[in-house]
Amino acid sequence: MTPPKIKIESLDFYYNTHQILSNINETIPENAITSIIGPSGAGKSTFLSLFNRLWETTPGARVEGRIQARFSDSFMDINDPKLSVIQLRRAVGMVFQMPNPLPMSIFNNVAFPLKLAGITEKETVQNRVTTAIKACGLWPEVKDRLDKKATTLSGGQQQRLCMARALVMEPEILLLDEPTSSLDPRSGAMIEELMVQLKPRCTLIMVSHQPDQVERIADQVIDFTPGSESCR
Amino acid sequence: MNRWGEKAIYSLSVLSCVLLFGSVAILLGYLLVKGLPALNPGLIFGSTPMVDALFLKRQVFDGIFPAMAGTLALIALAITIAVPLGLLAGIYMAEYSGRFTRSVFGFFFDLLSGIPSIVVGLFGFSAILFFHHHISESLAPCLLVSALSLAFLVLPYIVKTTQIALETVPQQTRITGLALGATRLQNIVFCLIPESLSTILGGIILAVGRCAEDTAVIMLTGAVVSAGLPDSLFKGYEALPFYIYYISSQYADQTELTQGFGACIVLLLICATLFTLAAIIQKKVRHTLLYRH
Ligand SMILES: Nc1ncnc2c1ncn2[C@@H]1O[C@H](COP(=O)(O)OP(=O)(O)OP(=O)(O)O)[C@@H](O)[C@H]1O
Ligand SMILES: [Mg+2]
Repeated sequence: MTPPKIKIESLDFYYNTHQILSNINETIPENAITSIIGPSGAGKSTFLSLFNRLWETTPGARVEGRIQARFSDSFMDINDPKLSVIQLRRAVGMVFQMPNPLPMSIFNNVAFPLKLAGITEKETVQNRVTTAIKACGLWPEVKDRLDKKATTLSGGQQQRLCMARALVMEPEILLLDEPTSSLDPRSGAMIEELMVQLKPRCTLIMVSHQPDQVERIADQVIDFTPGSESCR
Repeated sequence: MNRWGEKAIYSLSVLSCVLLFGSVAILLGYLLVKGLPALNPGLIFGSTPMVDALFLKRQVFDGIFPAMAGTLALIALAITIAVPLGLLAGIYMAEYSGRFTRSVFGFFFDLLSGIPSIVVGLFGFSAILFFHHHISESLAPCLLVSALSLAFLVLPYIVKTTQIALETVPQQTRITGLALGATRLQNIVFCLIPESLSTILGGIILAVGRCAEDTAVIMLTGAVVSAGLPDSLFKGYEALPFYIYYISSQYADQTELTQGFGACIVLLLICATLFTLAAIIQKKVRHTLLYRH
C-alpha cells in the first residue's frame, strides 16, 4: 500500500451537543481511492467535510482530535489556525452529490477557482481550463459551446464539469460525496473511470452507497456502520 | 377542507385578482382620459420652443420641464446615496452580523421603514433649520437635503431586500464557492450577489418609485413652485409630485386641472422608464459578473 497522505487520530465531531463522530482513527493512503460507506446519517458527509474544513460553515459545529495531511513532504495539522483555510480548500477539491455548476458559462465555471486564486493571465487560464475539461473527457461535448450556460448541460455532463472545476487547481486531495448517485449508469461509469485515472496525481476519498462501485474501484474502505470498525 | 371550501377560496382568490386588476385599469384609464388632452409639448415646455428648452438655451417658465428634471435629479441623487449604503448594510446584516446585532439592527430598520414620510420630512426640515441657525445662514432647504431625507426614507427597503435575498440563497449554493477556495468576500461578490440580484433589484425599484412619488418629504425640505432647471445641490428645485399637488389643490380653471393629470401621466412614464432601465442594468451587471471571460 502507498504511504499515508492523511492521518486521523482520536477524532470527535459534534453539532452543538450532538456527537456525530467519535474516536475515529484512520489512515488514508496516497494515490489511492478510499471509499467511505455506511448507512444514511452515519456521518459520512460530515467526515468528508473535515478534510477541507467545510464543516466550519455550519454554526455550532465543533471538532476535537487531530487530522494531519502531508503537503509537500511534511505533515501538518489541518485544523491548525495558522493554516489558511482558503489555501487548504485550493489544495483539497470537492465534488458534491448533486452537480452544482454555478450560473455562469461552461468556461467560466471551470475558470472560477483560478479567478478566486488570482490567476488571471489569459493564456494560463485558457490552458488550464482546457486541460481540466479534457481530463474529464468532456472536451468533445463542450468545445463548441464554452460560452453557453453550464446549466444547459445534462446531469452527467454537469457532474464531469464539476470534476473539471475541482481539478483545475490540481488538488492533491479530491473529496467526492456520492459523485455518481444522481447519474445514469453510463455517466457514472465515466466518472469512475476518471477517478481511477486520477490516482497517480491525487488522493481520492469517496463516499459511496453502491457496493458494486466500491468493489470495482476502492483501494481501501472505511465503514461507518455503527459497531463495525472494519477496514479493507 | 371540503369541496365547497376549496371552491370558495379559489373563487375568492380569483375575484381578488380581478378586483385589483380592475382598479388599476380604472385608475390608469381615468388618468389617461383626464390627462391625455393636456399631454403635448406645451405641457412640458410651455411657450418655449422645445429645441431651445432641451439645449438649455432658454428657460421654461410655464411647463413641467423643470419639474421633470428636478424629479429625475432627486431620484438619481437619493438612489446614489441610498443604494451603496443599503447594499453594504444588507450585506453586513446577512453575512457578518452576529445574532444579537442582527436582531437589534433588524428591529431598528423595521422601525425606520414604518416611519411616515412626513416625519422624515419634518426631521430633515428641522435639521436644516438647525444648521441654518448654528452653522451658516446660507444653508436652507434644498435639493441635497431632500435627497438625503429621501435616501433615509428608502434605505430600509434596500437593506431589507438585500438581507433577505442573501439569506435565502440555498446552503448548497452558499458552500459551492467556499469549497472552491473563495474567501468570504469573494463568495459574496461572485456567488451570492449575482444569485440574488433580481431580488435586490426589486428593493431598488421600490425605492425609485418611492423617491419619484414622495411629496411629504420634499415639500418640507426643498421643493418649490418655481425654480427653473435644477442647477445646484444647494438650491430649491421643482418636482413633479409637488407640481401635481400644487396645481390640483389650487387650480384656477379646468385647463390647470387637466395639466395636473397630464403631469401624473408623465410621472408614471418616468417611473416606467426607470424601472425598465433598472432591469436592463441588472441584466448587464449579472452578465459582467458571470459571463465575461
Ligand atoms: N448542519 C447540521 N446541523 C446539525 N446536524 C447535522 C447537520 N448536518 C448533518 N447533521 C446530522 O449529522 C448526522 C450525519 O450527517 P451526514 O450528512 O454526515 O450523514 P451521511 O452519512 O452523509 O448521510 P447520507 O448518506 O444520507 O448522506 C446526521 O444525523 C444529521 O442529522
Ligand atoms: Mg451524505
